Amino acid sequence: MAIIPAVTDLTRPYWDNARAGRLVTQRCASCGNSWHPPLPACPHCHGTDIGWREVSGAGTVYTYTVVRHATHAALADQIPYVIAIVELAEGPRLVAGITGCAPQDVRVGMPVRVRFTAVTAEVTLPYFEPAPSPSPTPPSTPAPTP
Amino acid sequence: MIRREVAIVGIGQTGYAKALPSTAWELAVAAVLAALADAGLDPADVDGMCRFAPPFEPVSEPMLVRALGIPELRFFAESPLGGEALGAVIAHAAAAIMAGLARTVVVYRALSQSKGGRFGRADRGGPSGQPAAAPSADIVVPEEDNRSFAWPYGLMSPGQLFALWARRYAAVNRLTEEDLFRALGSIAITQRRYANNNPAAMMRDRKMDWDDYRDARMISEPLRLFDLCLENDGACAYVLTSADVARSLRDDPVYVLSATQTLSPYREPMGIYVGGELLELFPPATAGRLFEQAGVGRQDIDVAEFYDATSYMPLRSLESYGFVPDGQAWRYVAEAGTGPGSPLPVNTHGGHLSEAYLHGMNGVLEAVRQLRGTACNQVAGAEIALVGAPAGSATILAR
Repeated sequence: MAIIPAVTDLTRPYWDNARAGRLVTQRCASCGNSWHPPLPACPHCHGTDIGWREVSGAGTVYTYTVVRHATHAALADQIPYVIAIVELAEGPRLVAGITGCAPQDVRVGMPVRVRFTAVTAEVTLPYFEPAPSPSPTPPSTPAPTP
Repeated sequence: MIRREVAIVGIGQTGYAKALPSTAWELAVAAVLAALADAGLDPADVDGMCRFAPPFEPVSEPMLVRALGIPELRFFAESPLGGEALGAVIAHAAAAIMAGLARTVVVYRALSQSKGGRFGRADRGGPSGQPAAAPSADIVVPEEDNRSFAWPYGLMSPGQLFALWARRYAAVNRLTEEDLFRALGSIAITQRRYANNNPAAMMRDRKMDWDDYRDARMISEPLRLFDLCLENDGACAYVLTSADVARSLRDDPVYVLSATQTLSPYREPMGIYVGGELLELFPPATAGRLFEQAGVGRQDIDVAEFYDATSYMPLRSLESYGFVPDGQAWRYVAEAGTGPGSPLPVNTHGGHLSEAYLHGMNGVLEAVRQLRGTACNQVAGAEIALVGAPAGSATILAR
């Protein structure tokens, strides 16, 4: 039993890219702003020409919690696990699990990088793991102008 | 501005317990009848109704109107977002009364978490009201509120969400683990002591000292069991009317000085995606509006009832409502404290942590008792009270 996202027209590109090993966020073709989770229009210029751009997968832990009590039966065998808000090097934040280190070793500000985990045949979730160095790799496409 | 144009003339509540035999409908009816009786009114006098409208509210206006035989509602309004309705329902009721759309407005909230919809269990009809899935099937999380981007990682309960906020608070303000432990524990233990003196409190007979608090199991770090609110059945209601009618009904109406609601992009529960500082989602600007419209200052508040789904929330509310400078409440609650005789007694009924969880409604009832001078943990001479949710939905009441 896995807990998986419903895939909608709005969110399909995010999940399709994740399955292909790419982390993407929406970006406005008109003004270049970027955000997550997906929206139907640009909240900055209200443009509707919304594209997707791949991000580097580098980020830092903005905050986190170590969950030691399962709130869902599907998670009982995963306790303890870490939920974090990860701030991407490109700016947007997303919710993700942290793997690749002991839960007690996670810290606010810790550099992390994306690590994709297939949870079903159709769904791959971006997780994050400690990054070897604090300097993130450059994004594969240029960051938008603020 | 509302300033004393509207008053609370009746309060009512059921018993609170982990599980009551009554349905939420029965509880709501009992609480509303108790509030009307306290006001010296009859269901036939009710012509307005305001209520909390999270997706899991079990009792609708049509159910209550039918069960109480209310001839006609001329005004009814709903406020979404759980605790964010706390001040909003009073703002709506006051606006309706002042605009002449209604004369007597009932506000109610009923919960029956024992029969489904436990906030702390996402697999037993959680906040979403979703039924439990078959054990072997994958659970598909709908996109609504972007939960599809959070639930797959196990971020499914309000307690976990506020653990993320508490951890951020500690990091920004450079607290040690012991500092954070002392701050959260001071709130939880102080509220438990208030509850021990409150016959209505679920925790009235359960003493808690620092060892009990420390030894309780960790739920979602840094929040332990007693940092989280109770889950329970129960209902609360109160009745609002114009100041003139209020004075004809009783000698001690509790006047509404101000009431606020607020909504900005990425408010809770979406705050996890905000671009700015997460902690600033508890916005000082809204608190400024609350005081300005009330015509009173922080120093005038005698008692505060802060929304406390977790112990972190009253801590941050002391800062966001301007009682303590930003980043200093952790030290303040451990030193000055929030107990009897402190500069600002907080959650004098025991709060959601130790009285019962009713989406802040029981905090409004406690503020009314404090201003009538009938509270169990009475603050001597209390004249003005603040009841507030962390993100700025709040009210200032006065006798």
